[in-house]
Amino acid sequence: MKLELGRIFIRDVAFGAETRVENGVLTVNQEELRKLILADERLVAVEFHIAKPGESVRIIPVKDVIEPRVKVEGPGGMFPGMIAKVDTVGSGRTHVLKGCAIVTTGKIVAFQEGIIDMTGPGAELTPFSQLLNIVVHATPREGLTQHEHEAALRFMGLKVAAHVGQAGKSVQPDEVITYETLPLLQQVAKYPNLPKVVYAYMLQSQGLMHDTYVYGVDVKKIIPTFIYPTEVFDGAITSGNCVSACDKNTTYHHQNSPVIEDLFERHGKDINFLGAIVTNENVYLADKERSSNMTAKLVEFLGADGAIVSEEGFGNPDTDLIMNCKKIEAKGIKTVLVTDEYAGRDGASQSLADADKAANAVVTAGNANETIVLPPMAKVIGYPEQANVIAGGWAGSLRPDGSIVAEIQVITGATNELGFNKLSARGI
Amino acid sequence: MVKEIERAGIPVVHVCTVVPISLTVGANRIVPAVAIPHPLGNPNLDAGEEKKVRRNLVMKALNALTTEVHGQTVFE
Repeated sequence: MKLELGRIFIRDVAFGAETRVENGVLTVNQEELRKLILADERLVAVEFHIAKPGESVRIIPVKDVIEPRVKVEGPGGMFPGMIAKVDTVGSGRTHVLKGCAIVTTGKIVAFQEGIIDMTGPGAELTPFSQLLNIVVHATPREGLTQHEHEAALRFMGLKVAAHVGQAGKSVQPDEVITYETLPLLQQVAKYPNLPKVVYAYMLQSQGLMHDTYVYGVDVKKIIPTFIYPTEVFDGAITSGNCVSACDKNTTYHHQNSPVIEDLFERHGKDINFLGAIVTNENVYLADKERSSNMTAKLVEFLGADGAIVSEEGFGNPDTDLIMNCKKIEAKGIKTVLVTDEYAGRDGASQSLADADKAANAVVTAGNANETIVLPPMAKVIGYPEQANVIAGGWAGSLRPDGSIVAEIQVITGATNELGFNKLSARGI
Repeated sequence: MVKEIERAGIPVVHVCTVVPISLTVGANRIVPAVAIPHPLGNPNLDAGEEKKVRRNLVMKALNALTTEVHGQTVFE
């Protein structure tokens, strides 16, 4: 499967009469978007904001971040199984509006997760402070169930991103990168002397606000399966989760998975990247056993010499991570794990809820319990009082002057376990 | 908590969903629970059926508490 990813660099974003890209400037017609969003009768009102890098702006709570992309050639449309037909994507050509994102906010459900600051110390910890963000703040109809409410906001974000992405369809990209994975036997034969590496991509699937979708299927209902890595670049995996904000993958993280990009970067140089296995992190022990059995079996079935295993979230998913590690290693296949840590505010506690001596090569994305003071911002989009109830905050996190004291857990993407951040740690 | 109470000489049954974590932290008597969001019940069942599940778990735990063990034991 071969995909050309054409990146169109966006230098500025503004509201305007039509949705289009010209000379690197994206203009967006708000009325078009309003019509698109309010066609869903579960939503009654919507407002739009633009938040740019360096501005004194805080967005809270953040539900999802999504990159506008569009299929230009090849089968399928953006977000297959969700808002496009369920064709297999990942081949042909896709255009990306690079440098901007759709950020969804509004009253969410129960806990209201995620902060993006566009300037200051909080901005250092989230990659989304570096983007030109089109922020969509929607109000749901009274009386929706929690699940309907969550679904309405989730679909809204995908629809807006796909709509805005259309603006890049006939624009000449600034750069085009080609990614290719061959059918297994051909791929193995192509680089016979390089170690064969498979990526085991763990997806959060613990229920409301902790769910992920692959081709529209709720991941808690899958058994692990193979995918071509480029399917991910075309929106085959979408996020339905934002709790805790620091280490849940937004849809943007999936679309830009650094693990997959880096494995492709080294593909044919020092490794032979065979493909990816998607698996889940369910709340029943039998599911954890079944999924880790299947994952280890598929890694072996593909003939891998090594596997990268990334976790999403923390706590009991640490067990899924360790089960995957132990069972893959037991087959004589080396693993490297990517996770983050909850080691206490002083960093002195045990980092993961589970451990095993087979987990002898681990990359960390930082300690989510570290505390930070986020200074007041001139403009707040959303509901700042949510700082008192989100995971990583506490009663009194929002202080009278508008500043927030909390664990970095509250910051969207701060300890992302795909490595889409700057924090890490080294053994000494 | 399991380990500290046992250190004081009082046997403990750890009823928990993620048995591997219980094994890692060193519990001696482990009774597997239902699921992480609802360890001691099952909201998908009707009230009568759920009561049976809950009673069964308590009886299993009491049975484990009075059973001699030599090393870590999972009471399936």
